Amino acid sequence: MRFLATALSVWFLCLASALGAAGGDHVLPLDAQPLHNLLPITNSTVMVWIAVGLIVLFCRAATGKMTLVPVGFQNFAEWAVESLYNFLENLMGPHLTKRTFWFFGTIFFFILVTNYLGLIPGVGTVGWYLKDAAGNSAGFLPILRGGNADINMTAAMGFTFALLWIYWAVTENGVGGLAHHIFAPKGNFSGIMRAMMIPIFLFVGVLEVISIAIRPVALSFRLFGNIYGGEQTLEKLMTLVPEWLAFLPALPFYFMELLVGFVQALVFTLLCAIFLKLICDHGDEHH
Amino acid sequence: MFSVLAAAAQSNAFETIKDTFGLHGAYFAAQVINFFLVVFILKKFAFGPIQEILGQRRTRILEGEEKLKRIEKQLADSEATTAAAIAKANEEAIRLIAEAKEGAAAFAEQKSQEAIAHAQQILVKAEAAGNADRERISTELKREFGRLVAATTSQVTGKVLTADDQQRINEEALSKVGN
Repeated sequence: MRFLATALSVWFLCLASALGAAGGDHVLPLDAQPLHNLLPITNSTVMVWIAVGLIVLFCRAATGKMTLVPVGFQNFAEWAVESLYNFLENLMGPHLTKRTFWFFGTIFFFILVTNYLGLIPGVGTVGWYLKDAAGNSAGFLPILRGGNADINMTAAMGFTFALLWIYWAVTENGVGGLAHHIFAPKGNFSGIMRAMMIPIFLFVGVLEVISIAIRPVALSFRLFGNIYGGEQTLEKLMTLVPEWLAFLPALPFYFMELLVGFVQALVFTLLCAIFLKLICDHGDEHH
Repeated sequence: MFSVLAAAAQSNAFETIKDTFGLHGAYFAAQVINFFLVVFILKKFAFGPIQEILGQRRTRILEGEEKLKRIEKQLADSEATTAAAIAKANEEAIRLIAEAKEGAAAFAEQKSQEAIAHAQQILVKAEAAGNADRERISTELKREFGRLVAATTSQVTGKVLTADDQQRINEEALSKVGN
């Protein structure tokens, strides 16, 4: 029964999305389009605000009247938060999780909500065609755009994590400890062997610094690419068949996008957690 | 995508990527603010209260576990105390029953002896009463017999008997009757 309901929901999503996409051959632009000339508001920002609003509503419903015996939304919210907390605790340990859960929890739930909101019919497909002064087509402007289909959003999260990563790494290890963690020789070398290892590990440390610097870029583009690519796939598939049948090719991919939305939220959170764990791990020197 | 990479290789890579993907300082800053807005909301209205209530529940569970252990210990102590009390009561009961049996046996023996003694007394008394009655009846019979003999003798002989005669006849008749 539950499977049937899920299948029907996805089917209706496809149908509605196909109806939204029908009526013109448009391509979702790579960049988010501004909706206001002065304020930095894009169609993606609006989706993020909608996500924020939904999160607020859910939080109020779940934690407005909390009881020791949970019911309804509170039960679900507790299950979700506790499951994620325990998952991160197993990964990073109790100390780091207690200290950083506010960030990782936010990252996971925010990405998840934003990804799923991007699958709502009309997002990325309902808009208007732009024309230049000469009356030629100048692209398509969707009213709404998936929050994570905007590099500014994913970069905001990636670089915020990078800054927090540096802060947590320094506060956990100290500046010297952090430098030692990156550049110092690993393993039990002594004598001439140790002396020979120092330049090698210095070089490895430089590579590590480059790797650390690239991480937020990789995080940003991985999430952006997956979500933008998913939206593009759905739209393109709808144009492969006649309009009245446009929903059909996208149908299986809607299931996949539901999975991708969750997996990408988990991957982003997991990678951030692992990066932090690696730099704050005092017991294991291996990277 | 390849054209983007090719362009990046030929010119300033960052500028190319920035222009292609629409990375914009103001939009970036706006999304950072949005992100921290979400952080604030979730921390204040979701993670904070939920973790607090989870902590409260954990504390209550731990307290419950402690109470359960205390109750189990008290129960075990109580069971041991009860078992000891039952064993002691059992011993006491056995002792009391034994004492009661001994007391009952002594009492029965005493009462039996008393009954025997009482029965013997009754027999002695009955025997004595019987002897006395027999003696009295014998005396009365002798007296009546003497009187009858004297009266018969007086009538047969037509003689008025004196007291001495009567006495003598009585004695003679009684001597012949015997005891």
